[in-house]
Amino acid sequence: MKKYLALFLSLVFILSFATAGLAQDKAEITLAAGNVGKELQFAKEAAQTYMDEHPDVKVNVLTTPDLSNDRLGLYLQFLEAESPKVDVYQVDVIWPGDLAHHFLDLNKYGAKEVADQHFQEIVQNNTVDGKLVALPWFTDAGLLYYRKDLLEKYDREVPKTWQELTDTAKYIMEKEREAGNPDFYGYVWQGDAYEGLTCDALEWVFSNGGGAIVNNDKKVSINNEKAIAAIQMAADWIGDISPTGVTGMAEEDARKMFEAGNALFMRNWPYAYSTGNSETSQIKGKFDVAPLPAGDSGHSAATLGGWNLAVSKYSEHPQVAADFALFLAGPRMQKKRALMTSSNPTIKSLYDDQDILDAYPFMGNLYDVFTNTVARPSTPTAPKYNQVSEVFYQAVHSVLTGESDAETAVQYMELDLQDLLGYESGDPRQP
Amino acid sequence: MAKQKMSKLAKSEEKLALKLLIPTFIILLVIALYPLGQVFYTSFTNRTFAGTGTTEFVGLANYQRLLKMTIKELPPVIDEQTGQQKIDEETGQPVFEHPIRVLPRRPNLYRPVYNFKLAGHKYVIGAITPDFIRAVINTIIFTVFSVLLETILGLGVALVVNSEFKGRGVMRAVMLVPWAVITVVSAKMWEWMFQPTRAGLFNMLLNKAGLGSGNFSFLTNPTLQMPAIIAVDVWKTTPFMALLLLAGLQLIPNELYEAAEVDGASKIRQFLTITLPLLKPSVAVALIFRTLDSLRVFDVFQVMLAQKRYSMASFNYFQLISAREMGMASAIGVIIFILIFIFAIIYMKSLGVDTE
Repeated sequence: MKKYLALFLSLVFILSFATAGLAQDKAEITLAAGNVGKELQFAKEAAQTYMDEHPDVKVNVLTTPDLSNDRLGLYLQFLEAESPKVDVYQVDVIWPGDLAHHFLDLNKYGAKEVADQHFQEIVQNNTVDGKLVALPWFTDAGLLYYRKDLLEKYDREVPKTWQELTDTAKYIMEKEREAGNPDFYGYVWQGDAYEGLTCDALEWVFSNGGGAIVNNDKKVSINNEKAIAAIQMAADWIGDISPTGVTGMAEEDARKMFEAGNALFMRNWPYAYSTGNSETSQIKGKFDVAPLPAGDSGHSAATLGGWNLAVSKYSEHPQVAADFALFLAGPRMQKKRALMTSSNPTIKSLYDDQDILDAYPFMGNLYDVFTNTVARPSTPTAPKYNQVSEVFYQAVHSVLTGESDAETAVQYMELDLQDLLGYESGDPRQP
Repeated sequence: MAKQKMSKLAKSEEKLALKLLIPTFIILLVIALYPLGQVFYTSFTNRTFAGTGTTEFVGLANYQRLLKMTIKELPPVIDEQTGQQKIDEETGQPVFEHPIRVLPRRPNLYRPVYNFKLAGHKYVIGAITPDFIRAVINTIIFTVFSVLLETILGLGVALVVNSEFKGRGVMRAVMLVPWAVITVVSAKMWEWMFQPTRAGLFNMLLNKAGLGSGNFSFLTNPTLQMPAIIAVDVWKTTPFMALLLLAGLQLIPNELYEAAEVDGASKIRQFLTITLPLLKPSVAVALIFRTLDSLRVFDVFQVMLAQKRYSMASFNYFQLISAREMGMASAIGVIIFILIFIFAIIYMKSLGVDTE
């Protein structure tokens, strides 16, 4: 019996090696792709298109976690092991500085010719020491989603300031609750202790004139009255216009609540526009987007988001992988992605594309929002941005949950950032 | 002495035995000692995870940053007009200086972990990495409560499925279901039940019972986090405890109970004088298993609380993955290792578990 088992096992071994040998003829590459909204579906379809056009290539799509911090954790494990298992990485706009040495210089693989079609800010952001380490794929900015049917019903305007947002949200929330939906809330956003909270809180602070945490001239600027007031404002929303559970919410949690028809306003990225208009959504056609409200500075602020495509230095097929990345970031696939997932293209000419403008009028109307974003301080703090962000979102989160008061939290934040970075304090940058 | 008496044959056999043991030693070296040694070594450096910078030897700096604590007295705030200590008008409590002004800042910034009052004076305990100190406290609270509850409930379950009744076999199988579910899956499942809206089971039930308005935020409210996570672990691991105790119960011969019955001992008396003493070795083994297991709890914390509240192991994970401080993370690993080692020895000594 044992003999047969051994025989069987060795057969299995031989067979598996044989198939591996056969697969060698096809170049097999893997794309690590996001899974928020419809983007995974898009990645799979794009991979299929590429395979149809290049029969000698097999593209696998690896699903990665929703939260960008978790995704970074997964990537770091591949990169630390110098693993060839993933060839093309979808990387956040804040990572190129930190991870540059793991990626190929795409300028050497034909990206030089197409780079000037893209938004130059993003190309700059992705260029480290003269090397283009990631291709812009789509860009993001925080938007205010609002229920236009409810604003109309109660005769209210789209809020221009945070104060207006608070008042309108409170008013309509109370009316809607009286009208029989006890689970209705005024405003949902991303309040969990993770990178998303950094994005949200940066918008409150920057629009209020409190600066962008660390200035571009390497000065820590967070400890100021305006920043404290902005964070306090958000803490006061909790249990009032925002559910207490908002301190555990990420993008997808907020979107689900908004799509279930249980929130008047939502702060989210553009992807939620297409999912909100899908068949399963309760609010299909009943909502629209606007710039986020302004604070004391008189300006609205939207955090720059967006994802790029980087090719691993450890890839076994760098040529194929780079070609695939160029294909995904090219105009044809960016247009398809924009139409399918309502993500903003990074190619300037696509903003004149009638198909895109017809499907998503906001991409044209809010063009200024997308070109005047506030960037997280990933450049002046590289390669420690991730720790800076953690200090920031943990401190803000402790204020949101009531463990700390805004003033103390901000004072500690300043000391922590000075310790971490060795920078002096400075005055906040104004929008 | 013994060696001189050894025959040639015995000597060559001994040599052969050593040779035959070599593969085992090599495997042990490669899969256990090498990684462990690597972690010890890394814990004395400032290595960055997946980074390029040069790695330097920093001695005990990582351990100092993790463990160094200080106690400072908070001086009272004096009201300039009266010369007396200020009294907070709202609470009526005397006002003390803020910890941020009292705790040292150089060369390392100390942050408050805990305030306490002693004989009219107020003190603050400060640490350089308060999150780690809190993670240790969280883990110990988690371990004490979850193991205690699991033991009591597990014993109850074990006693029930040990008695004779119809469908006992099925019952024993069903009992194991929570334990068989993968922790990440069950944690996700509980996360849904803990949802801070009426869509969550607990909020719905509490709301039906007239408590709250359906927005208890179990996983973000600092006072509800620990009870919630302990509940998940108790639900999941009670079956395992019951299984271990059931094995112990089945070793107790029935004759003892029959004899006790004849002597007229009550059921409670039987339980206290027969069941409990004879079950002690099983309880001890089960306790050791569970305690050591809970001290390195990771999955429940990581899935349900992520960076809102850490256990030792999840703090370790985030130091490595998020802060990318591999040296620091290794030092945490070593500290967890030593802590668990100490717990194991205390248990073995105090419960008299035979090593034979």
